[in-house]
Amino acid sequence: MPGSRSMRLVEFALRCYPRRWRSRHGDEAAEIASLLIRDGTPVHSVAWNYLVGAARTRLVGGPRRRVGAAVCALLLAAGSLGVPLALLSSPAPANAASVTHSRTAHPRPAHPRHGDPRPAGPRHGGRGGAPDRCGHLAHC
Amino acid sequence: MTARERGDTGGQDVLRRAGDASVLILTSLADGAKHGYALIQDINGFAGVQLGPGTLYGALDRLERMGLIEALPAEDRRQPYRITAAGVAALRAHLDSIERVASAGRLRLGLGGI
Repeated sequence: MPGSRSMRLVEFALRCYPRRWRSRHGDEAAEIASLLIRDGTPVHSVAWNYLVGAARTRLVGGPRRRVGAAVCALLLAAGSLGVPLALLSSPAPANAASVTHSRTAHPRPAHPRHGDPRPAGPRHGGRGGAPDRCGHLAHC
Repeated sequence: MTARERGDTGGQDVLRRAGDASVLILTSLADGAKHGYALIQDINGFAGVQLGPGTLYGALDRLERMGLIEALPAEDRRQPYRITAAGVAALRAHLDSIERVASAGRLRLGLGGI
């Protein structure tokens, strides 16, 4: 019998399936997992296969489930994008190091000089004296 | 349930887009009912393919929705499945289609037809 730690990984993957699926296949799925692991299949391979299967099951469910899954995917994507953007756009001096880094990477002046031909739109710090972060984000 | 979901497509190859796992499962069930682990073992034996458990359940659910297999009463924790008449017809149509393609491929490679 595989160790309880490896089975916890599989159980976590199985919990990602809808409740109705788990009530029908859950016990057998756990048994198959333990048999496959006993036969030499890597635990992470079994768990990953169940995770992908759970995602597919949720995506091919009814229209409400599909919408829910799409909303979750969008939130996840927004979250994964939003966290780095929020870190980059946090005001100085909290991110002084990253600003210094960005100046090195993108050698643009921090503040538009008088007569600078670049438009002073919102992306380029139209508030006057805004830090370089907008220019940095434009590169991102 | 629609005719397409039942697999009743008048000899058309409904398995063309169903995926390899579905064909392997139907082939495995063609000689008798099996439960999940027995299916994985059997498919590994005759095709050399290690079907992942998540892939297996996804294909089983799809085939059941299409009416190509049906679940039998559970034995302990194991759920056996058997192929239906529509499943036999679908598998036959798919194998015929594969045979035609294989035959054409062999001819064009100069290997002779099947």
